[in-house]
Amino acid sequence: MELPGGYIAAASSSNGLCSKSNSFGLRLPYPTTPNTLHRTLIAMKASNLSTGSGGEKGRGGKKGPRKQKKKAKEGDAAAPKEAAGLDAEGSGSKQASLSLEDVNPVGLGRRSRQIFDELWRKFAGLGQLSTTSVVDEGLLEGVLIGGPMCEFTVAEAQDTTVLVVGATSRIGRIVVRKLMLRGYKVKSNPPTTIQISNINTKDHERYEKGLWLGKADPEVIDMLPRSVDIVLGDVGEPTTLESAIEGCNKIIYCATARSTVTADLYRVDYRGVYNVIKAFQDHNNKLAQLRAGKSSKSKLLLAKFKSSQSLEGWEVRQGTYFEDVPIDKYNGRMDAKLEFTESGEAVFSGYVYTRGGYVELSKKLSLPLGSTLDRYDGLLLSVGGNGRSYVVTLESGPLADTSQRKLYFARMSTKVGFCRVRIPFSSFRPVVPDDPPLDPFLVHTLMIRFEPRKQRPPEGPSGLTQDPRSFKLILEYIKALPTGQETDFILVSCTGAAIDPTRRAQVLKAKKAGEDSLRRSGLGYTIIRPGPLLEEPGGQRALIFDQGNRISQSISCADVADICIKALHDSTARNKSFDVCYEYVAEQGNGLYELVAHLPDKANNYLTPALAVLEKNT
Amino acid sequence: MASRLGHAIPLPFISPRLYHRALDFNISLGRSMDLLNSLPAHSSSLGNFRLPLRHQCNARTVVATDISQGTPVRPTSVLVVGATGTLGRQIVRRSLDEGYDVRCLVRPRPAPADFLRDWGAIVVNGDLSKPETIPATLVGIHTIIDCATGRPEEPILKVDWEGKVALIQCAKAMGIQKYVFYSIHNCDKHPEVPLMEIKYCTEKFLQDSGLNHIIIRLCGFMQGLIGQYAVPILEEKSVWGTDAPTRIAYMDTQDIARLTLIAMRNDKADRKLLTFAGPRAWSTQEVITLCERLAGQDANVTTVPVSVLKLTRQLTRLFQWTNDVADRLAFSEVLASNMVFSASMADTYSLLGVDSKDIVTLERYLQDYFTNILKKLKDLKAQSKQTDIYL
Repeated sequence: MELPGGYIAAASSSNGLCSKSNSFGLRLPYPTTPNTLHRTLIAMKASNLSTGSGGEKGRGGKKGPRKQKKKAKEGDAAAPKEAAGLDAEGSGSKQASLSLEDVNPVGLGRRSRQIFDELWRKFAGLGQLSTTSVVDEGLLEGVLIGGPMCEFTVAEAQDTTVLVVGATSRIGRIVVRKLMLRGYKVKSNPPTTIQISNINTKDHERYEKGLWLGKADPEVIDMLPRSVDIVLGDVGEPTTLESAIEGCNKIIYCATARSTVTADLYRVDYRGVYNVIKAFQDHNNKLAQLRAGKSSKSKLLLAKFKSSQSLEGWEVRQGTYFEDVPIDKYNGRMDAKLEFTESGEAVFSGYVYTRGGYVELSKKLSLPLGSTLDRYDGLLLSVGGNGRSYVVTLESGPLADTSQRKLYFARMSTKVGFCRVRIPFSSFRPVVPDDPPLDPFLVHTLMIRFEPRKQRPPEGPSGLTQDPRSFKLILEYIKALPTGQETDFILVSCTGAAIDPTRRAQVLKAKKAGEDSLRRSGLGYTIIRPGPLLEEPGGQRALIFDQGNRISQSISCADVADICIKALHDSTARNKSFDVCYEYVAEQGNGLYELVAHLPDKANNYLTPALAVLEKNT
Repeated sequence: MASRLGHAIPLPFISPRLYHRALDFNISLGRSMDLLNSLPAHSSSLGNFRLPLRHQCNARTVVATDISQGTPVRPTSVLVVGATGTLGRQIVRRSLDEGYDVRCLVRPRPAPADFLRDWGAIVVNGDLSKPETIPATLVGIHTIIDCATGRPEEPILKVDWEGKVALIQCAKAMGIQKYVFYSIHNCDKHPEVPLMEIKYCTEKFLQDSGLNHIIIRLCGFMQGLIGQYAVPILEEKSVWGTDAPTRIAYMDTQDIARLTLIAMRNDKADRKLLTFAGPRAWSTQEVITLCERLAGQDANVTTVPVSVLKLTRQLTRLFQWTNDVADRLAFSEVLASNMVFSASMADTYSLLGVDSKDIVTLERYLQDYFTNILKKLKDLKAQSKQTDIYL
């Protein structure tokens, strides 16, 4: 007797809720075959036997007082759900037997409860002012929070690991936050995290003075986001940098010496930059070795002067600009030779006393198979000598036909002693002004020319006069610098305006040395020289981007940080140095015509147009 | 007393239980600070309750000399209350990005708000309903941005009124220099909706407190529509809507965050009441139609007449144990009133110096959402196909 009753209750209640169950996508439980009917009955029996399950509530609701309307409704919703679930199961696979799970009254009750809750929530949501989001959080977050809908999201961020050197500095802290906001990190991929190298921890112990914020350090580190991979290290100690560089694609260097003690400046602003660059290049080289030397970031060796054999192919030539004039007339003489000395150096030396005369060293380039110079950005020469300046000439055009050859030249100045000189291809100018700009792809010959013209007054101890017409050039190697779209290394330097005037020269000297070592490194670089830093929110005032140390205003740390982030993936920022500060009205005679002002905002990418007009390779 | 404060609106739908708790409301924030001197009002008639607006913010800024001699408070230090919410998280992100040092007041809970920490905010635990936890979190804070609202399942009076009163008084006592409060548009016109009434009373309380403040009234968040309409339409589930002709000018929370921070820095906005509304007001039906068009599929719409909602509310109000439910359905009264939740933004734009073109429209927002989500779904499908081949 009980079983049919139970069934009827279920059927009638499902009738009553017909429209509703339809609306949430359930099929109505009309048993069509004896088989399914039987199953429904089993189910009802099971639920009747249990106490407090959906089925019993359903019946109770029918008979009970109206007061329990809510509960009754719940039961009503529950009953058809059970039946529906079973029915769907039954009709889907009639042969399949019911598992114990399907008739488990507790499970059924729970499920029916869930369905009702969902229904009620939707209903109640209509009458509410604020709705809590109930959708799949992961999907929503993926699109709205971290995904493309977010104003901060940067598409390249996922594959980029950035090393922030000096993450606890005023700019560094904001840089780290901005990186995190832009998703420079993949949660599921442990190796791609932002790494932080905290600089100067050792120095704190050494110089625990009032000026040094040594004591605050643990707190400062606490302020960094926890998902950041923190590497403690000291830029002054190259050995500590290895682990920090591991796995990084890009570096933002915003560490700065915290005192103006010369040793400290040297350690952080010069050697620090140098050490980080070196570690980064070592890391790149290591990666390149894993890929059999084929890395887009490795330099191409054009010539290496390490043995007397390596001098083969280099020719020494002499000439003069006044070809119609006989040389003897001016009693001029010149001589030059390239030799491999006993001390293991390739020395190009000689003298040019002839007016308008020159001597040059030339070689046909033999590039390794598959490499062409158009994939490179410029030349890097490691040379020593007595500090003369030379003209580097590239010859392009068909090899066979010399009448069509085109010459491009660039001046290079050297220092006394060894130095590395970087000559970007973009600084080569055609000898014949009408020629098209240099196409590195067509270059086949390299020449280094010495001429007595335009030499600087000789350096060296006073009293020791050197004849500017003699020269000595020790060659170590010539390499081609790899090109790239983006910058690899962002260095935050300074304009020097905020520094105590008594120490300004020393500070700037150290900063400049750091900048120079970056420029010569062959890495894609961006050097940002902000005006005096202010601790205020960014994005409020227009900025001026300029070159040439003319700016006078200050700038907020947040704006500098924003420029760093934007420069990471901006091709116009590659190989540029620039000054930046708040907008101002220039003094008379110091016209604004070259200064560009841009208001930082989410919508506009202010950096690209601002930097596009600035000189490259500065 | 009512005349002195100029506002006493009957609030008939708050349960007696909650009301009595409100009467007993008295917080002590530590002996050293004589913060509260609350004078609860007495209700005039049975069953017709008043919100205890009689609290007067008579907290005095404690010993100003102490503050001036200590470390100066940096103007970039901000406390965001309600940072885990839809709006709160956008404000946290935006202010972090603009270089503020952000502290977030978050309730201690088993699932911690790790994402806030990951972004670089400092998370402090505190609970507005436990006033003794508040003062410590305000040390060194220049501006409070208060975007907290109790969750629908919480008793509304506890967080939204008592908690806010405690927070404002504490802010006053500790010399907080600016307090940004989010309210609801038209909240003064709907005293029958508890949340709106509470927001309105909080506005008044804040204005009387003497704190330097900005009150921002909001209409609706576009982000809410995603869960309500866009996702169910894509998943081919039923969408529930009402036939109410109420229109709401939805706004992107990212825009709200941006405008808020601009207003915060602008001295001209101090002690002002600003209303942020989206470019256009939309009715539920229009939103659903727009979603259908963008998703390229028809929605399975279940329209619940407003009258049904109202009826349910009337029924649930009959019993004390369903009163919470009734409170939650209170917005149906607003829906039934054919209100337009929109405001002219021209003055606000000119005050803040914002270009109206930079404000995202609902069409563009949903368009963005659907193109992104459809692309993502496509990628997922492609991925699953790939794995099929491997299998």
